[in-house]
Amino acid sequence: MKIGFIGLGIMGRPMALNLLKGGHQVSVWARRAESMQPLLDAGASGAASPADVARDQELVISMVADAPDVAEVMRGVASAGTSGLVAVDMSTIAPAAAKAIHEELAAAGVDFVDAPVSGGEVGAIAGTLSIMAGGSDAAFARAEPAFACLGKNIVHVGGPGAGQVTKAANQIVTGMGVLAVAEAMAFASKNGVDCSKVREALLGGFAYTKILENHGQRMLDRNFKPGFKSWMHEKDLNIVMQTAHELGLCLPGSAATAQMFNAMVGSGLGEEDSIAVLKLLENLSGQA
Amino acid sequence: MKIGFIGLGAMGRPMALHLQAAGHELHVWARRPASADGLPATVHPTPAALGAACEVVFTVITSSADVEGVALGDSGLIHGMAPGSVLVDCSTIAPDVARRIAGQLAEKGIHMLDAPVSGGEQGAIAATLAIMAGGDAAVLERVRPLLEKLGQRIVHIGPNGAGQVAKACNQMIMVAAIEAVAEAMHLARAAGVDPAKVKQALAGGSAGSRVLDIMGQRMVDRDFSAGIEARLHHKDYGLVLAAARQSGVPVALTASVAQQLNALMALGFGKDDTSSLLRVLEAGRRGV
Repeated sequence: MKIGFIGLGIMGRPMALNLLKGGHQVSVWARRAESMQPLLDAGASGAASPADVARDQELVISMVADAPDVAEVMRGVASAGTSGLVAVDMSTIAPAAAKAIHEELAAAGVDFVDAPVSGGEVGAIAGTLSIMAGGSDAAFARAEPAFACLGKNIVHVGGPGAGQVTKAANQIVTGMGVLAVAEAMAFASKNGVDCSKVREALLGGFAYTKILENHGQRMLDRNFKPGFKSWMHEKDLNIVMQTAHELGLCLPGSAATAQMFNAMVGSGLGEEDSIAVLKLLENLSGQA
Repeated sequence: MKIGFIGLGAMGRPMALHLQAAGHELHVWARRPASADGLPATVHPTPAALGAACEVVFTVITSSADVEGVALGDSGLIHGMAPGSVLVDCSTIAPDVARRIAGQLAEKGIHMLDAPVSGGEQGAIAATLAIMAGGDAAVLERVRPLLEKLGQRIVHIGPNGAGQVAKACNQMIMVAAIEAVAEAMHLARAAGVDPAKVKQALAGGSAGSRVLDIMGQRMVDRDFSAGIEARLHHKDYGLVLAAARQSGVPVALTASVAQQLNALMALGFGKDDTSSLLRVLEAGRRGV
């Protein structure tokens, strides 16, 4: 399939490479020209703008930072006037923003899919991302062969915005999950109990989670390298809290967690992995 | 002096009348012309036309976007107000929006003060508002005689945006106090104790406060008809949390109270008084 790809950062670059490996014909565009080079070396063609990358394609995929960036590149994509084009955004943005982009593109004759991912850089490189999609059946079907090159657990959740709602729900569970494991570690530690033994014991019971297993181990190793940067988790939790505010939805646990991540960004831990919330807890309880 | 007034709601109308009663010539613009009915004022077709006729213009409007539209929109004040004239914005809006509006007006030589108020409808009627001003101190001195017709405590906080920061701090303390009073009243009743007696006793001690006096009494009387509509506090809490996020400052209690306000909105109490936070707590006990 002929696919245009926009945004070649930590996530976008390996994803575009996996599309090439899957035998697709890929054209790329990125704001910083130098980030396009590894893709050109691997056989992609380069485009001059979002409109250019969308010309004569069947599918365009974007993977950029935030809602204004998505809206801007998608406006460019729509301006190409490619008939029957399906555009997929795999960034994490607010459900309301995704719905607005859906409407704007529909008016321009472009069928849009919001398809954020979970699984991080590791999942992007291995092609094992979880993909949660919102949009029409026809658009999802068009994008599915591309999704198959990028991820394993691919779910068409519902209509416009449903993918971003799912991603926000994912960030609630992972955000509170990381905080829960960090609090358990801090609790064990302050009680003078060996945290690695606690983790080992908990893994066998109802407290088992992938986060306890993976993030818990990294907390024990005090390996705070990202992974998933805490400022990005803060951004995602802000989407959750904004949406809750707009809907009139009471989310006390998410609110408390969002403030912990807010504190991390404010105290200079933003570039570290979200497990650095353990450091914040230690600072607050004089355990540093 | 020729004074413009935009925003003739529960707050704005009595404020405008105080200025008129002090001998000033009142000019108004209203989105819904009916809200200017019965006012001894000249009605203008657009904010720009009003701005051209006045030396000082007051605005008391609900949202950041609306203030921005009135000030900077196509037929906004910026297209009518003369260099040297003053916009006094008494609305509660985001500090960064206040700064942006002030910056654009300044390019045309128009002065602006962000001058949010505290004291509610009662304070507006009694001309006892607390006014917290951001902007040039000399400009504040020029309009101080006007502000003295509206309130008693007029404090210059700092440059543009500083007034809005002070108002955000005001809202944090006040609504958290309302929640504290609601929880205390709720606990008293659940423990089989008369909330009225508890309130009476507390008023004499260290927990005494204006919020306990006024909002506590409304809770005792179960009179939830609006003083200030709770939806406005809900809106303000969105601004407070956004400001905290911008500064990377964790505000655990504020975030928690914000969730109670979200629940209040969901339960349909948005147009009632914020003492309805008591009813949110009661909803949490339903079915027990």
